[in-house]
Amino acid sequence: MSEPILSAEGLHISYGHVDAVRGVSLEVQTGSLVTLVGANGAGKTSILNAISGLVRPRAGVIRFKGEDITKWPSHRMVKAGLVQVPEGREILAALTVAENLSLGGWHRGKTLRRNVDRMYERFPVLKERQKLQAGALSGGEQQMLAIARALIAEPEVLLLDEPSMGLAPKIVDEVFAVIDQIRQTGTTVVLVEQNARRALAAADYGYVMETGEISHSGPGRELLADEKIIEAYLGLS
Amino acid sequence: MQQFMDGIFLGSIYALFAIGFTLVFGVLDRLNLAHAAVFSAGALIGIEGVTRLGISIWLAIPLVMIAGAVMGILIERIAFRPLGKRHDAHFGGLISSIALGTIILALLQARYGPDTRRFPPEAFPSTRFEFLGATVSLLQVVILVISVSLMLILTWVVAKSKLGRGMRTIAENPHAASVLGLNVNRITSTTFAISSALGAVAGVLFTLNVNAASLGLGHAVELKGLAVIIVGGMGSLPGALVGGLILGLAEVYAVNYVGSSWRDMVAFGLLFLILILRPQGLFGARKTREV
Repeated sequence: MSEPILSAEGLHISYGHVDAVRGVSLEVQTGSLVTLVGANGAGKTSILNAISGLVRPRAGVIRFKGEDITKWPSHRMVKAGLVQVPEGREILAALTVAENLSLGGWHRGKTLRRNVDRMYERFPVLKERQKLQAGALSGGEQQMLAIARALIAEPEVLLLDEPSMGLAPKIVDEVFAVIDQIRQTGTTVVLVEQNARRALAAADYGYVMETGEISHSGPGRELLADEKIIEAYLGLS
Repeated sequence: MQQFMDGIFLGSIYALFAIGFTLVFGVLDRLNLAHAAVFSAGALIGIEGVTRLGISIWLAIPLVMIAGAVMGILIERIAFRPLGKRHDAHFGGLISSIALGTIILALLQARYGPDTRRFPPEAFPSTRFEFLGATVSLLQVVILVISVSLMLILTWVVAKSKLGRGMRTIAENPHAASVLGLNVNRITSTTFAISSALGAVAGVLFTLNVNAASLGLGHAVELKGLAVIIVGGMGSLPGALVGGLILGLAEVYAVNYVGSSWRDMVAFGLLFLILILRPQGLFGARKTREV
């Protein structure tokens, strides 16, 4: 197997006295879609935030393209090509759609204009509403905006945290279609999802998390085929 | 007319002081109560430059801005950043900035002593001329020009520049700003530097205007600066400008028509009245923060 583009080794994350993640190791191959699934509070978001530099792990090493990035500040991660679409989308509601998009290109001065135009082509609804305050968009449109905003930063690895949360089933389909398009363009995707069945079906490789640890891992379809895993860890969703 | 002019000149200095105050509040939601100490320090450093080093006031003003900017960066590093992760960071920063302000004043006292200092009379040409029936000094015109241009530049920076876009993003959602790859620490630091540079220049201009600087100088304007930004609408730059002008005018008219001992009474009474009529402040579009 080739050198993974992103890896974590022995990751421990705690908040005060609460251990959110206990000794997690994972690997993400270039161009693949890797998913972390598991119940609420299993530590999925903590891992994503550690990779984004938003929380500091207590122990462990995170590597991106062979380099130890564990202690990098978040702005350096984004500049290097590790971009997160955060849980709850975190769009800037008082700013316009266009302003939100241009913030995505904070480190991409020269290509910003072109990237924004490309996103307007890809998400025509954002072009229609570019002058509107982002807070006025529907939940699904806000999620598209958050993804588009992250893509403008030209990520090599896109980290998606619960992109289907709170969306109607039809919109969830659209979000997963977009994720599929993104990886077809060669962008590596790490997807954190509570909607485990959808995520595993789309993923090349999956990690199942339970209370801060990885309980199972394997190719997405194999995990999905294992009824015991589905029942024990992923519920009926 | 004379009073109106005098009020505008005084008010523009208050506005310059308040605008630095409100900038930090608007962007970071923090009150920097060491701002008044920077104001005093700006005045005293400016006087030392002119009297002891013999430099011209035109060189002293940019030097004071740089000194102010450095102080702002230190204030952010010492009084605010270490407490930033606490859940009571607003209150913690408020208290630690009072402490740091007190330390700055003590350092100033150690260096300059407790006596009142002045710019030498020859520091500025005492040219006067008539304007619309009022006597106006060149100094007052210069004060107004400097204050207004600094405020215009700042307004442009906040509204149009990349730095300003970063400031507004952090003001709305610091977490999203980090996720988007903004260097939140650096933008915060820069905001403090700009705010304190303006506060320090305001100190020099104020001292030139009344021709006396003492350590307590900052305290006199601190409360007024707070009143101005509350009346203007917390975090609003045009609010600070208008609030400063109203306060300046109110003080000058009060001295002329009611007597100087009524000055603060009338000025603060007026501000109080504005707040009763418009509790969110003149330009307060700020919504209550989401929890």
